[in-house]
Amino acid sequence: MEYILHLFILICFYTLLSQSLNLSAGFTGLISLAHAGFYGIGAYTTAILSTQFGFSFWLNIPLAMLISGAIAFIVSLIALRTVEDYFIICTLGIQVILFSIMNNWMDLTRGPLGIPGIPSISLFGLHFDSKISFLLLSVFFAAIVWFVLRNISKSGFGKTLTAISEDEIYTQSIGKNVYKSKIISFTITAILAAIPGALYAHYISYIDPTSFTVNESIFILSIVIIGGLGNLTGSFLAAAFLVLLPEALRFVGMPDSIAANMRQIIYGLILVIVMMTGRNGVKELFAKKHTNF
Amino acid sequence: MEIIALILIKTQLYLLVALSFSVIYHPTKNFHLAHAALITSSAYFVFFFANKFSIPFLVSVALAIVTTTLIGGVCEVLVYRQMRKRNVPAFASLIASIGLYVVLQNCISLFFGDDTKIINTAEITVGNQIFGAYITTVQIITVFVSITLFIAVNLFLHFTTTGKSIRAVASNPELCSIYGISSNKIILIAFGIGSALAATAGILSAMDTNMTPTFGFNLLLYGVVAMIIGGVGSTRGLTAGAFLVATAQNLAAYYIDTKWMDAVTYIILILFLIWKPLGFSGKQLKKVEV
Repeated sequence: MEYILHLFILICFYTLLSQSLNLSAGFTGLISLAHAGFYGIGAYTTAILSTQFGFSFWLNIPLAMLISGAIAFIVSLIALRTVEDYFIICTLGIQVILFSIMNNWMDLTRGPLGIPGIPSISLFGLHFDSKISFLLLSVFFAAIVWFVLRNISKSGFGKTLTAISEDEIYTQSIGKNVYKSKIISFTITAILAAIPGALYAHYISYIDPTSFTVNESIFILSIVIIGGLGNLTGSFLAAAFLVLLPEALRFVGMPDSIAANMRQIIYGLILVIVMMTGRNGVKELFAKKHTNF
Repeated sequence: MEIIALILIKTQLYLLVALSFSVIYHPTKNFHLAHAALITSSAYFVFFFANKFSIPFLVSVALAIVTTTLIGGVCEVLVYRQMRKRNVPAFASLIASIGLYVVLQNCISLFFGDDTKIINTAEITVGNQIFGAYITTVQIITVFVSITLFIAVNLFLHFTTTGKSIRAVASNPELCSIYGISSNKIILIAFGIGSALAATAGILSAMDTNMTPTFGFNLLLYGVVAMIIGGVGSTRGLTAGAFLVATAQNLAAYYIDTKWMDAVTYIILILFLIWKPLGFSGKQLKKVEV
C-alpha cells in the first residue's frame, strides 16, 4: 500500500514537471532540455534553506520559485538568441552547466555527497510525514499548477504563445513582442519546475545531483512529447504511463536489472515513433512553419 | 610541455568526432545525436570481438567499424529517411535522434553492463618521451589516424564525384534532384562515412582511457560544440573549434580542476552564441530566413 502511494506521489511530481515544460515546449515551441536543471534548482534551494537556515516549507517554495525563475530569466536572455535545433543544443549546455554546479560546488551543494536530513513539511502543527498526507499535498499542488497552466493557455497570452509556435514572423508582424513572450514563457516554466523540486526535497529528505541529470531532462521531455505537445491532460496520462511502466514490466516477471534499461528502450522507441508519424497534434502545430517562406 | 601535448592530442580526437558529425550534418541538416551511441558501440564491439572471441585485434577493429557503419546506415534508412519523406519539422528529427540514442545506449548497457571496461591491447602501453612530454603509443596513433582521415575526407569531399555530390546536396538538395543526383543515396553514403569516422574516434578514445556505455555522449557533444563554434561547413573552422575546445578544457583542468571541464566547454559555447552566433567562419546558422 505504501508503495502504491509512493508511485502516485511520483506521478504527481512528473505531472507537475511535464505540464510545466509543456508551457514552453508545447505551447511556445521552445523545446528545452534544461528542465531537470531547474527542477534541481528548486530542490537544492529548498534543501539548503531548510537544513542550514531552518526555513519552513511554506517559505521555501516561494523562494525556490523565485531563484529558479531568476536564473531562468537570465539564461533565457542568452539562450533565446538562438533558434530551433541550436536552442535545444543550447539548453542542453545549460543543463550540463547546472548539473556541473550541483555536482562540483562542494561548499554550497556538498557535490556528489548530496544533502541529507531535509525535514518533512508541517503546517500549523499538522505534519505531512505520512505517505497519504503527502500525496494529498502533491495532488493539491498539481491541481493548482494544472489550473494555472490551463488558464494561461486559454488567455490572450496563451494564444500569442501558440501563434509563436506556429509562425513566429507572422506573430511579430501583427505587433506581438515575440522575444518578450518567449522569455516570459521560459521563465514561468522554470518557476513552476521549482515546485516539484521543493516537494521532492522534502519528500525524499535526501537529494544528490544524480536526480537532476541530462537523462532526467530527456525523460521529462519524452513525457511531454508522448503526451502530446500542448496537451496538458496528455502530459498527465503519459506521466502515469511512464511511471507505472517499470512496475508493469516487473509484473510480467522481468528482473529489476533489465527492467530499468527496458523502460528506457521502450520510451526511446515511443519517442522515435511519435516523432516519425507526427501524431498528437505535432504536425498540426508545426506544419505551417515550413511552408511559409 | 605535457599540457601542450595533451591539447594537441585532444584537438585531434575532437576534430575527428566533429568531422564525423559534420559529414552527416552538412547534407542532412539534422542533429544526429544517436551518433553518440555509435561512438560508444564501436568501442564495445572491439571489446566484444577481441576479448570474448579472441579475434586478432586489428581484425576486430575492422569488424567493429563495419558493424557500426551498418548501424548508422540502418538508422538513416529506417528513421531519418522516413522523416524526410514526411517533411516533419526540423526539431522532430533531433528529438527522434535523442530517442534513438536512448534506445541504442540502453541496448549497450543491457548487453555489456554499466561498469567501466578496458580494451586489452596486446602491447603494454609505455609512455614515449617526446620533447619532455610523456605520450602513450595509442595517443600517437590517435594523432596520426586523425590527421590522415581528416585529409582523406577533405580530399574525398573536394575531388571525387561522390564527394562533390555530398557537398551539392548540402548546399541545395532541390537543384540536385533536378540534375539527377539521388539525395537519398548521397545522404546514405554520408551516413556511412560519418559512422565509420565516429567508430574510429570511439575506438581510439576507448583505447586511450576506458569506457562506460555513456562515454560517447560527452565526446560527441565536445565535437558538436567544436562544430558550432567553428561554423558549420568550414574545414578551418572545425580545426579551430576543436583546438579551442581542447585548449579550454585542458587549461581548465590544469588551473581550476578537472571536474569543471564540461561546464567550461558549454560556457564557451554559450559565449559564442552570444557574441559570435555564426561561429568563426561566419556561415549562416539560422535555417529560416525572412
